[in-house]
Amino acid sequence: MSAAATAEGGVYAGLRILELGSDAAGALVSRYFAEQGATVVRVESSRWTDFGGPLPESPVPEGVDAALLFALWNAGKRSVALDLQHEEGLALALRLVDWADVVVESFAPGVLERLGLAPGRLLEGRPELIVLSSSPFGQTGPQRGTPGFGGQGAALAGFDHLTGWPDREPLGPHAPVTDSLSPRYAAALLAAALLARAETGRGQHLDVSQVEVGVHALSELVARWTGAGEALGRSGNRCERAAPHGVYPCDGEDAWIALEARDEAEWDALVAAMGDPPWAAEARFAGLADRLAHADELDRRVAEWTRDFAPYDLMAGLQEAGVPAGVVQTPEALLRDPQLAHRGHFVRVEHPALGTLYAERSGFRLAEHPGGFASAGPLPGEHTDEVLRELLGLAPEAIAALRERGVVA
Amino acid sequence: MLSAVRVLDCSDESGWLAGRILADLGADVVVVEPPGGDRAGRRGPFLGGVADPERSLPWLAFQAGKRGITLDGAAPLAQPARTRLLDWADVLLETFAPARRAAWGLEPGAVASAHPRLVHCSLTPFGRTGPYAGFRAGDLVAVAMGGNASLTGDPDRPPLRCTLPSAWLHAGPEAALAVLMALHARARTGRGQHVDVSIQECQLQTLLGAPGLAARTGRRLRRSGPRVGGTREIWAARDGWVRFRLRGGPAHARGLRALLDWMDEQGAAPEWLRATDWDAFRPDGLEEAARVRIEAGFAAFFASRTREELFRGALERHVPLAPCNDGPALAAQPQLRARGLFTTFALAEPGAALELPGGFAQSSTHRIGPRRRAPRVGEHLEEVLAAAGVSRAELEKLAAEGAV
Repeated sequence: MSAAATAEGGVYAGLRILELGSDAAGALVSRYFAEQGATVVRVESSRWTDFGGPLPESPVPEGVDAALLFALWNAGKRSVALDLQHEEGLALALRLVDWADVVVESFAPGVLERLGLAPGRLLEGRPELIVLSSSPFGQTGPQRGTPGFGGQGAALAGFDHLTGWPDREPLGPHAPVTDSLSPRYAAALLAAALLARAETGRGQHLDVSQVEVGVHALSELVARWTGAGEALGRSGNRCERAAPHGVYPCDGEDAWIALEARDEAEWDALVAAMGDPPWAAEARFAGLADRLAHADELDRRVAEWTRDFAPYDLMAGLQEAGVPAGVVQTPEALLRDPQLAHRGHFVRVEHPALGTLYAERSGFRLAEHPGGFASAGPLPGEHTDEVLRELLGLAPEAIAALRERGVVA
Repeated sequence: MLSAVRVLDCSDESGWLAGRILADLGADVVVVEPPGGDRAGRRGPFLGGVADPERSLPWLAFQAGKRGITLDGAAPLAQPARTRLLDWADVLLETFAPARRAAWGLEPGAVASAHPRLVHCSLTPFGRTGPYAGFRAGDLVAVAMGGNASLTGDPDRPPLRCTLPSAWLHAGPEAALAVLMALHARARTGRGQHVDVSIQECQLQTLLGAPGLAARTGRRLRRSGPRVGGTREIWAARDGWVRFRLRGGPAHARGLRALLDWMDEQGAAPEWLRATDWDAFRPDGLEEAARVRIEAGFAAFFASRTREELFRGALERHVPLAPCNDGPALAAQPQLRARGLFTTFALAEPGAALELPGGFAQSSTHRIGPRRRAPRVGEHLEEVLAAAGVSRAELEKLAAEGAV
């Protein structure tokens, strides 16, 4: 594990982002910018400052520490707790909007309007402001007001349908896919809007629908239907263009290896690695079309061979031989992965209540701007005093009075 | 938004989506194919079932918005043209294996000195350095090594990936983001830089914090098939499947009661199910027999309705239910249609057209989405090379030698 790397001197040092909303899809957008030095201030509802909220729909089983997930998803950010239903709380929020360069919000469409914070209104006052709204269905259309729930985006966009065994129900990839996919798209969109503003001085309102992002990524699913009338279905771990292509058992409990032979060279390398068994020389495994036609038998034969090996040894041996192969790693195994360690993926940070945590980096590194996280995600309202004092210039007595009246927490 | 940004896209399929997103945002993205075209990329299925590299549906989908040239960038003869293109471009996107990277002259130091303003993005399975940097991997191996496969699938069967290459689909947008960050930095420093994207590392975000959770709580997540947190989440409808979240507690009770009201209106709500205290309901506190009974109560209702009926009811009543859409259902979604997500692209071939998702988001000031269809093989070779300062004579020489 690496010690907390600094985000000082990051690409977005000095950029001010105000964040509203509490789900993963919203929180993960601005985390990319916090990683590169932006000052990100989250506004929580002060009604939720006890443990248990404002916490997102958790994708993991009930009873797991949702506060821990909140801390991980919000690494590097600060948190202010305001009562947005209170006129003075709202006034403070508006002053924070004035402070901000960017507002990222993931409330249900309509909530900002009801609070008096409609993006259109905010932009009228400040045409250089960028407001990014992320919601399941978007800000317009007949379903704009439909509440979201975790996994809904994966179902609607087609990920569920495409994941599973042909003879069983759809399963979907682990965890709400659109919660991890849409922030990447939304962050790219925000980065583009920042570039545009640097040229023109003008901001904009950006409207991201998490379902639409999923559909965009699965453009091939749509194209196969609209262009060829093909209703693509799930195929386990098989691939039309490679054989063998699957996940095979290894020695050990729930131990597996993924391997692919994408061309004849990789097939030949696999055969050699297996010690040139006679079965591999049979005509029915000679070319890709043959191997696809006999995929069940092929998989059975490969599994017979893989099951005697420890997974990491097998991966090393196959890679050495020129065969794409990778252990099916568990979340625990990732913590020990040497490649992720090389990249400094897990960053040790200290959390005021939860102690030592491992925040996670993005999947890219900029050579000149290493980036990082100096802090874990905040406790809700942890920085109320600091933010009101430093960013809005309020005196301590004024803040105490607001707290007394329940306007801030 | 990015109309002044020029991108040279030398990605294989693992990087297509990055360039597509930049094109949707208005960048001038030029895809570089080998002379004769990208055979592997221009794969089937084909538009109208007619096998023709210009009708490849995956190609048409992901290369929409881009222009196209052909170039054997590793050929010594092509080195001057390659240099001009790298001077012309603001961004180079590539998914090269180490040998090809060297043949293109793309070692980090060399690029920085020859093309100081270039943002050079390498997208590889594990990153450009480190113990696994030389490992081979397609999408399946990346999903496996990135942690998601271990938690996807049924307990009694092997771990799974998605049938379409989801690891690549997660890495592409992150690469686009990284490129745009580097351009943002360049506006201040005047310099480009190298951007190193790892497909494996991008995968970890799909776990939404599970490794940190494991480190802190020691708790092991396991594959649970159609169940999440102890209860079924994927249910059979009459004509397919739906996802319905069966959770209790105050936050979810309202949705369950709305569902039961609906079931009751249809005469399909057993009394004992209606009588359940959903505010107090905790699925993981249930005994097996009780859980089975409750699930059977809902399952019978869902199994007797179509996906569309169930979704319509869910939308009206705010029940947490959504259909597991396949391609046809997706293409017909009223919300997506109302938002104008789908765009029809006319191909160069008369009468041929393809409907695809267009822009991935909306903006109050800019149109987001591809401005053109995917390119034909070498379609923009002359205009792009001319813009980069490659003379007509040189182009003809390259063509004569098969380097374009």
